[in-house]
Amino acid sequence: MFAGENGLHGDPRLKAISEAIRVVPHFPKPGIMFQDITTLLLDHKAFKSTVDIFVDRYRHMNISAVAGVEARGFMFGPPIALAIGAKFVPLRKPGKLPGGVISEEYVLEYGTDCLEMHVEAVQPGERVMVIDDLVATGGTLSAAISLLERVGAEVVECACVIGLPEVKGHCKLNGKPLYVLVEPRQ
Amino acid sequence: MNALTGNSLKISRVNIVSKKFQRHSHSGNSVTLKSPNTSVNFQPIRAAITGAADSGETHSTVLPTESARDQLRSDMAASPDVKDGRIAGISAAIRVIPDFPKPGILFQDITTLLLDPKAFKDTIDLFVERYKDKNISVVAGIEARGFIFGPPIALAIGAKFVPMRKPNKLPGEVISEEYSLEYGTDKMEMHVGAVQAGERALVIDDLIATGGTLCAAISLLERVGVHVVECACVIELEYLKDGGGAAIRGEESAAEGGRRVGTG
Repeated sequence: MFAGENGLHGDPRLKAISEAIRVVPHFPKPGIMFQDITTLLLDHKAFKSTVDIFVDRYRHMNISAVAGVEARGFMFGPPIALAIGAKFVPLRKPGKLPGGVISEEYVLEYGTDCLEMHVEAVQPGERVMVIDDLVATGGTLSAAISLLERVGAEVVECACVIGLPEVKGHCKLNGKPLYVLVEPRQ
Repeated sequence: MNALTGNSLKISRVNIVSKKFQRHSHSGNSVTLKSPNTSVNFQPIRAAITGAADSGETHSTVLPTESARDQLRSDMAASPDVKDGRIAGISAAIRVIPDFPKPGILFQDITTLLLDPKAFKDTIDLFVERYKDKNISVVAGIEARGFIFGPPIALAIGAKFVPMRKPNKLPGEVISEEYSLEYGTDKMEMHVGAVQAGERALVIDDLIATGGTLCAAISLLERVGVHVVECACVIELEYLKDGGGAAIRGEESAAEGGRRVGTG
């Protein structure tokens, strides 16, 4: 669900967040209008608003872990985790996490990729939220949900700053709800 | 590469790619990096105690002099941060993984610190306390673990966060700095326009070994006229008592929550 249609209708912070995001055409390849959140990170007020909106939503949901998808999920996840008193769990590309990991393969436009998590990062029954900067097809988030469910955690919600319009019709990933702040800019 | 077997340490000379830094060899083989743009008093960066943790940097080290090691030990003991009770909790929360990513390396794993909300919060608080009144407008975090510590600090001190990334990750116009690895080189990139000349910056990463990556970050920032106030790392690798380790002097480095591995 989009924040502007659910509880934050008319919230000026959403407009500021949207305007702080830069569009870079034809990156990483022709035809793609890349939604660049680095300009949001340069705008302290807008970055803080982003984190505040997520914190306000999740602080009373008894969430004990925030799982962030490498690498841009690492920028939004920790501030949220710290504010709600949860642990932060990095979900990483293969080979980066030392020690015992579990892996989940997922489909890309061409080929596959893999997401890894430390086996003991979350316990069965823990309530977890997953965060990334942007959701397009939901493939990465689905892999994240899988990893967490495989160790018995309960994924309460997935959260993204930006959501492509396609997700509107499919607000659930593997049956899990999705919460998005803004749509992509043109 | 540092391959620690028992008490012996294989070392080789540090190789720094960046032309901006002059290498000075002192007697006793300690190496100083000086940025020509600053006249800051450099604090020594303490170094590898048990074989450097890997962060993609070169692990080549040189032996410090006996007197340099003694000075460092007394510097550390005198530091008020060491006495802060939060430090012990932070240190205890960091996990060591042997032989990762390759045999002989003791990897300092901060993910267990992130699983301990109190220790993670203490880590951030220590940095925020140190930097909040230093007029810092930029926190530059090095991919990828610097992305975890940098943003909470930036948000708390009212600064912007600038990711320093591996090649080809940042869209749009970037500047690059090449730096030395144990074998070969790597490149770090920063967005053009992310920072302005005259801004005051903090560079953050989870761990410092040789300082190669941090030097690349300093270079990128200085090239666009930014003043790097300090580099901060959660973990700073330490001297071996019986004499091995990197004596690289770089920009002022604060090892908050320093992980003391082995010797006191």
